[in-house]
Amino acid sequence: MFINVVFYLMNIELKTLNAELRSMRIKMSEDLNEEMKKLREELANLKEQLRSVMETERKRRRGIYIDIGNRVHDYIEDAMEGVAEGIHGELEKSIFIGPRGVRIIRNKEPYRREDEIKVSFPKVAEVMSALGHEHRLRILDELMSGGKYINELQEKLSEITTSTLSSHLNVLEEAGLVVQEKVRGRYLITLPGRTAYKMARRVTRFLERGNQE
Amino acid sequence: MIWQNYKLDDAISTATEDIRLWQTEKGALEISKNTLAISITLSNKRKGYIFHGHGKLLLDSIVETEEGAIGKPIEKEINEPFLMLGDTKEIQKNLTTASEEDLAKMGYENRQGFVAKAEDLCDQFFRGRVHSHQHFDEDSGLIFAFQNENSKLDILIAKGSKLVYKTKDIVFVSNENKVILKSPSEVVCTSNGKSVIIKK
Repeated sequence: MFINVVFYLMNIELKTLNAELRSMRIKMSEDLNEEMKKLREELANLKEQLRSVMETERKRRRGIYIDIGNRVHDYIEDAMEGVAEGIHGELEKSIFIGPRGVRIIRNKEPYRREDEIKVSFPKVAEVMSALGHEHRLRILDELMSGGKYINELQEKLSEITTSTLSSHLNVLEEAGLVVQEKVRGRYLITLPGRTAYKMARRVTRFLERGNQE
Repeated sequence: MIWQNYKLDDAISTATEDIRLWQTEKGALEISKNTLAISITLSNKRKGYIFHGHGKLLLDSIVETEEGAIGKPIEKEINEPFLMLGDTKEIQKNLTTASEEDLAKMGYENRQGFVAKAEDLCDQFFRGRVHSHQHFDEDSGLIFAFQNENSKLDILIAKGSKLVYKTKDIVFVSNENKVILKSPSEVVCTSNGKSVIIKK
């Protein structure tokens, strides 16, 4: 009798538990559905935003869309992106100078001999003539380490008189190998000047090596 | 005439001596004695001048890279009227009221001739530009506008060691360790010793 009562009570308990479990399942399923609905809405939102961004970008690339509005910051970022793209494109055919003078030159145009002939021989002779003096080469050598005032050059090259030094600097300036600042008055070696100086040294080294052999 | 609340003063002055309007390590601008000047005012406060006389602009638009210097110095005689906005206190000390003779030295028959030229320049400078320097004061730096041979304006903006110079062919920007030079043949940017050169 006692056992029957116990079984009866357990049965009731079990039914209650079952009912609770069912209600929990229903609740969880509702929550899950709600969550999925939210996620779907969020996804649709993101897709819409992406579509709008892509559309804006397409219009911007076609050059028909400038929306300054109140979003100057966005506009500047857009413009910077455009500049960056432009630079990236240009770099394909340009020179890059890194902190250690590393250069990448990618010239996709094929080499044509006519291009070389376009450089006039008198100009080449002028540049070569500017290089063709020991004192001028020594001036360039001094300027390789940075811009210098005439008195600094005079100190380094004490065997050259001031007037001779000035006249050498004029020759180098006219050939475009050196430039003088108008305000501070320093002399600076130019990009062609540095290249010409390096070339002269390389040729000399090459010839010296040939003589030794 | 009024341009965005800026207007020209009635009085015309002349420089009693050579005046250096701007100087930094990169450039300098100077006007010589007898240069004519008319004030530009905003809410009755002097904000700048239109000058006409003999001026000289020096600007080292040169970028130093590890591969050598790029660009060249600019040395320009300024014999046409030009505009300046900025600190006027020091300049005012070296100006005095211009006489008919002073005007005649610069080729003007009367004051109206100079005022008309100054108005034209203001009109050209302020027209079509959105100026937000209603609070333009001594700390805002200097703005110069020079008429070039194409009757367009070359603009120089300077504040301390920072400067921007823009002409038809050249844009030069210098800001302490960063320098940018854009010329018809190349664009050069340097920043803290690193340089990028883009050949056109």
